[in-house]
Amino acid sequence: MVATIRIDQLLQEAVTSPYRMLVTRPTGAAVRGRIQAALDGSECETALLDFSAIELIDLSCADEVVVKLLATDTMARRYVVLRGLCDNQREAIDHVLAQQRLAVAALLPETDRPALLGWATDDLRRAFDAVCATAGPVVVSALAAMLEWPVARAADALATLARHRVVRAAADGYRPLSLPLL
Amino acid sequence: MTRVVAVPAHFDDRSFDQFAQAFTQGEGALPEARVLVDARGAQWASPYGLLGILTAGQALVEARRERPLLVVPDHEDVKSYWARAGFFKYAAEYFEIHGKVPRIRPSDGSDVLLGVTPIRAADDVHDAVGRIQEGSIRILHGELGLEKGATMRFGMALSEACQNIVEHAGTGGWVAVQAYTWRRRLGRRVVTIAVSDAGVGFRQTLESAQAKRFGERWGDGAALEAALIQGVSRFRDPGRGQGLAFIKRFLGQWQGKIAIRSGTARLAIVPAWDDDPPLAEGLPQFPGSQVQIIIPAQGAAD
Repeated sequence: MVATIRIDQLLQEAVTSPYRMLVTRPTGAAVRGRIQAALDGSECETALLDFSAIELIDLSCADEVVVKLLATDTMARRYVVLRGLCDNQREAIDHVLAQQRLAVAALLPETDRPALLGWATDDLRRAFDAVCATAGPVVVSALAAMLEWPVARAADALATLARHRVVRAAADGYRPLSLPLL
Repeated sequence: MTRVVAVPAHFDDRSFDQFAQAFTQGEGALPEARVLVDARGAQWASPYGLLGILTAGQALVEARRERPLLVVPDHEDVKSYWARAGFFKYAAEYFEIHGKVPRIRPSDGSDVLLGVTPIRAADDVHDAVGRIQEGSIRILHGELGLEKGATMRFGMALSEACQNIVEHAGTGGWVAVQAYTWRRRLGRRVVTIAVSDAGVGFRQTLESAQAKRFGERWGDGAALEAALIQGVSRFRDPGRGQGLAFIKRFLGQWQGKIAIRSGTARLAIVPAWDDDPPLAEGLPQFPGSQVQIIIPAQGAAD
């Protein structure tokens, strides 16, 4: 089950400003608190955070909303996907995640597949793209064959992606995150 | 007894130390004297200069000194610009103003992208960034040739610069943004962000976490180096300290300049078109911290 959370609505609740700007740490912390509250009352497996009505996000707020959210107990057993990011927002979030060697999946406007934001090696990005492009579950040996990698390299990449919670590790292999748009 | 601090005729970052010298020098000789800031001879002031005057007044009032005096510029057009930039509105909070102040309502627009704006809390940062985003595209994109996406980065840089006040100064501060033509220094249009506060400054902010690491080198210059070059913060949170790093990266893309003055030092990331020394130490003491960010029109900033 996917819970779609519109960040602009939480922002309006958190600040009195009429602008749709995610700026400052206090604002970010307030928005993060509302995301957690929404998810704590939900059985959802995946949180789809929708930034499409947000005009601007600064690094401080990106750190408070996204990076710190990933570290909360609320997210320990959930997946996060970001949607509706413009280039500058993607750049800010990518930067703060990479600083702390974290990654998150995002649905970018110009593609029909999820992309990785934040810290990720070339191997991880290739493995992530392969999982997302495959209709069914991907097992280690299949990925190794697909990318012409040794099995250990494929196993390591898939395990790392699962640890970052950007793919799902299931009994029958690794799957992309369940989303209405995928 | 009154001590006169003259405002330089052309008051910007280059003449700021002259103002700071006059402000500080008399403090030792006449520590209890009432300060009179004399702007009669002022012919022009950048946002950085205007915020410097406000910061001096703020520092005196917060130190519970006698309310300082401010004599307004003689030139009508200078007074008009200062009024339009919102300077007198806030100067009245700290100074006893002498001279006729034009009855002009402060307004953003034209070359004043953001008039003098107090920054005391996170809501003020929201307001400043929102106003800039609404009104700056014409100048940043149309006049300076920055791509439209750069106006977002400009807002991000403004936000991070203002947040330093809220998070570190321990008191309020100010921001102002203006576009103008630098005929003598660059020969083209620039947009400048000035941020100033009368707070504790970078050295005191970082002292408990960084002084030991720098040893005998520790001082205002080392504190600025730690913050701007090394991206350290007083907070242990590893997500901190990225704001200034972002501003540096953004400015690098646009041949921009950032200079931070705090206490007795000034550190700058100097683009090819400027000849400022990267680090100046032993400057006259001035309260708090002052940041200036300059972005030139694109195309021939070399």
